Amino acid sequence: MLAFLNDPGVLHGIVVLGTLILFFIGLYGLLAKRHLLKVLIGIALMELSVYLLFIGLATSPGETAPILSDGLRSFTHMADPVPQALTLTAIVIGLAVLALGVSLAIQYHRLTGRADVASLTELKEPR
Amino acid sequence: MTLPLTPVWFVALPLLLAFASPLWVRLRLLMPLLVGTPAVLLLLALALLPEVRIAPLVETIVIAPPLGIHLQLDSASWILVALISFTGLLATAFIWLGDGESYLRDRRAFIFLLLLIAGCNGMVLTGDLFNLYVFLEISGVSAYALSALRRDAPALEAGLKYLLIGSVAAVFFLFAVVLVYLQIGQLNLAAIAEGFAGIPGPMQILIGLLMLVGLGIKAELFPFNFWVPDIYQGSHPVVAGLYSGFLVKAFLFVLFHLVFLLLADPGVAGAWLMGLGAATMLVAEVVALRQDDMRRMLAYSSLGQIGLIALALGFGAEATTAGGLFHMANHTLIKLVLFLTAAVLMRSFVSARLADLAGAGRARPLAAAFFVLGALAVMGLPPLNGFASKLWILKGFAEAGVFWPVALVLLAALIEAGYYFRWIKVLYEPRADLPEARAVERWGYAPIAVAAGLIVLLGVAPFLVDDLFIEGAQALLDRGAALSAVLGAGS
Repeated sequence: MLAFLNDPGVLHGIVVLGTLILFFIGLYGLLAKRHLLKVLIGIALMELSVYLLFIGLATSPGETAPILSDGLRSFTHMADPVPQALTLTAIVIGLAVLALGVSLAIQYHRLTGRADVASLTELKEPR
Repeated sequence: MTLPLTPVWFVALPLLLAFASPLWVRLRLLMPLLVGTPAVLLLLALALLPEVRIAPLVETIVIAPPLGIHLQLDSASWILVALISFTGLLATAFIWLGDGESYLRDRRAFIFLLLLIAGCNGMVLTGDLFNLYVFLEISGVSAYALSALRRDAPALEAGLKYLLIGSVAAVFFLFAVVLVYLQIGQLNLAAIAEGFAGIPGPMQILIGLLMLVGLGIKAELFPFNFWVPDIYQGSHPVVAGLYSGFLVKAFLFVLFHLVFLLLADPGVAGAWLMGLGAATMLVAEVVALRQDDMRRMLAYSSLGQIGLIALALGFGAEATTAGGLFHMANHTLIKLVLFLTAAVLMRSFVSARLADLAGAGRARPLAAAFFVLGALAVMGLPPLNGFASKLWILKGFAEAGVFWPVALVLLAALIEAGYYFRWIKVLYEPRADLPEARAVERWGYAPIAVAAGLIVLLGVAPFLVDDLFIEGAQALLDRGAALSAVLGAGS
């Protein structure tokens, strides 16, 4: 019944649509939410959608993991390993930045009792 | 075993030393190594210069053939690497000799400062698009942390704001990288440059826009630069001097490097960037007029000069590009003097506000004198270096018969004179109730004096370095040579 999903065109279309929706949900969170943690979550969602798009479009149905073992001796019908390696790296970087952001937000909250983006007003234009 | 002198050390040395930092704390070597690392990198850059001037050094770090990573040191990226090392050297020397705030002298600051240098060097040198993203994040993360180092409310706010806007920029840039890979299947910049023309037009525009937003935010171009003054105000002036000194310059270089490398005809993109540069310059200079915090005023002044550099580089003629690169170096020296002076004044009077600094020139004559020198240089008065590079840029525009940028640059210089003289006047104002200035370490003036000496030297004798910048401009603009250096002569 779901065999049509094995068509790369259909699958990639769904991936593009889904990741773009996710990207814009993240963008909405970034622009419309005021709590610092929610803003950070919005940014994390945007990052995740980019990772998903990359992995989703770089692989097609029927491809196997790019590992030579168990009788697999040639590089045919394998997914391109580069996007997966890159995405892993990007996830690690994204996690580090997110952790730094959350820790700064927590410190700011402890110091001032505020967690609202709109309350970040120590530094602003004069008058 | 001999260690070959190759470009990889510009990234590897600061990284290794940063991660071994607990050892340096125990051996009490933290401060000597903080200053020593950029000094060694500067020596390395100088040692490699004769080779670089003959042909670009392309270093391939092979993991398992055919997978490898390119580092490319040509005349253009050499200028940036030397600038990064030199700026790092002066700023860290100020931190060491100036005996300043303890949070800039501990292990965390050591790590972040070296990571910032490593990240910027990597960005400038790398020949691989994904590596570019990684280095962009390395320098980004260390910059966010450096801003927040003081851990009081303004510093944390600066760090948070920087982190939020910086991560958004990184997401947009990553999106562009992903699209490029999906279209071309390559990450090597030279290979991408070959295949870029084959991408469908709308996709090219989408990639270009995503890169423009990502790198435009990082390179502080209008309209993506609303966050900059907040960050510069909340960070320590020395750190702000590093941002203005080489972090922005590295991003600006990367932006223009990509434009000139990827596009066979950079005319349209260059025109857009010229427009953005002009808007950056004018808006920033006008807003700077009403600032009453020295760090904020310097931030806007820095934005104005960034706009001027973007204007000059975007034009894409050899003379303006060489002038733009020269102005990059000159502006770094000038802003280093101004921000370090601001650090001295802030330490003396515990404030950087206009009202609190009235009459400060009488209590701190040396600092005020350096401020005046920096201000005159940024306005472009002869015989200082700002004059030499602005003249070069203006001559380039005039030779090409394009006069609107000339008018804008002169107008911007006029506005600059307006607000800098306001600050100079206040610094020398007679004032009876001058607050007691807190003591500052005299040796802290030494790095400022070195930068000030270079401001005068490069202003009097710009011909000493002319050739370097002309070669740099040629390397930046000559797409064919850059491609054949990596891909081989047959391509």
